[in-house]
Amino acid sequence: MTASFDSHLFWAALTSEPYWRGALLALELTAVSLATAIVIGFFAALGAFSPRRWVRSVVWTYNWLFRATPTLLQLLIIWDALPQLWSGFASSWFTPFMAAWIALSLNEGAYMSEIIRAGLLSVDPGQELAGRALGMSRRQILRRVVVPQAVRIVIPPTGNEFITLLKLTSLASIISLHEILTSAQELAVSTFKYPETLLAALLYYLVIVSMLMVLQSRLERRFTWSSGRRRRIQAPAVPAISHDAR
Amino acid sequence: MSALRAHDVVKCYGDLEVLRGVTFEVDPGQVKVIIGPSGSGKSTLLRVLASLEAPDRGAVTLEDRAPQPGEVGMVFQRFNLFNNMCALDNVMCGLVAVRKLSKSEAREQAIAFLERVGLAEHASKYPDELSGGQQQRVAIARALVMKPKAMLFDEATSALDIELVREVLDVMESLAREGMTMVVVTHEMRFAQHVASSVLMMDEGRIVEEAPPADFFSAPKEERTQRFLALVE
Repeated sequence: MTASFDSHLFWAALTSEPYWRGALLALELTAVSLATAIVIGFFAALGAFSPRRWVRSVVWTYNWLFRATPTLLQLLIIWDALPQLWSGFASSWFTPFMAAWIALSLNEGAYMSEIIRAGLLSVDPGQELAGRALGMSRRQILRRVVVPQAVRIVIPPTGNEFITLLKLTSLASIISLHEILTSAQELAVSTFKYPETLLAALLYYLVIVSMLMVLQSRLERRFTWSSGRRRRIQAPAVPAISHDAR
Repeated sequence: MSALRAHDVVKCYGDLEVLRGVTFEVDPGQVKVIIGPSGSGKSTLLRVLASLEAPDRGAVTLEDRAPQPGEVGMVFQRFNLFNNMCALDNVMCGLVAVRKLSKSEAREQAIAFLERVGLAEHASKYPDELSGGQQQRVAIARALVMKPKAMLFDEATSALDIELVREVLDVMESLAREGMTMVVVTHEMRFAQHVASSVLMMDEGRIVEEAPPADFFSAPKEERTQRFLALVE
């Protein structure tokens, strides 16, 4: 069986420009989408605690809308439907990468807001009380005390989100974004050699995720407060989110 | 002129009236100890005095004006040190964030106050590496460094192992001797007897009785105080 595996083609695919460019594109798209999603999610999480009812309603509706509908549909609406609704989107700046960035950020922001909300809730209310007793403003307490402690709780589920998002970038192949999976499929179709071409793509995903895991464990240590930085922390109380349906 | 004063303070949580018109004052350099059963409103009174809770009626004044941020120091039962900061940063935090001092100035003062509570050598340790007694002493230093006009202690030794209580009480006693204005909620009757200028009994959101410790413990006037002391001693 292995005799039919063309290792030459495998290496050629692995080192070919479309592959590494495609992988880089997937990584870029994941990174910028996650970064944007964290910003959206942070403010949505704060909004969920707002005393104003309308703010909470906006956050709720946003979370509901983007979690209840398929990511693929969101991507198609932003890429295909939006330019027909607003002519501003029917111009050259609106590239497939832009469309995917917007769609994935909005989608992921909804999930991140729940994760960040749980992270903020996990910080002992006594911390805020102590800050107020010192005369610190709400914003100072958030920035210096609550957010750093919430970050530690938020890192592991955010690592999961990165992985999910990386895999979701392959959806962007249908709006002609030339990411790694598109490159692999093109090569597979032209050579008719599926094992070699697809395995090469698989390897790229494995490498990217492995790099992320190293980064994540460094970050976790960075946000653990012991001078020895060895403290074990219990699994965070973050609601499990099923990724299968996305 | 009273240092810290609560005038006819009413505080409700929903339907529950926790403070029912409390008038209370402490003069400069006085130490007032508040005792009473749980749910009597002691902690709520301290929180109102520290401006952590706004009263529904009445007012709190410091030297006959509204207290400014950081002017009334508070020490909590569960220490509430900032978990993401080492001891030194905990003590510096208020100086940098609220008093707007430069980091080097803040550091200098913070170290002096850590020395004051005997913890200078633990400056770089994080709260989870310190014992309860050490954490509480850092918390006291964190409040003192703000140069408060009054210090409030909310059952500061209740969460401590028995052998760690002494080191915290020692710090509190030396503060009292130095003339700090203090309001102390505690179950440490010996502390009340030896350090207090006067002792107050609270029950059901009211101050039932106030007297100098000698009179308060030997000849309490109110029946409620007699019953409480009989149970505690």
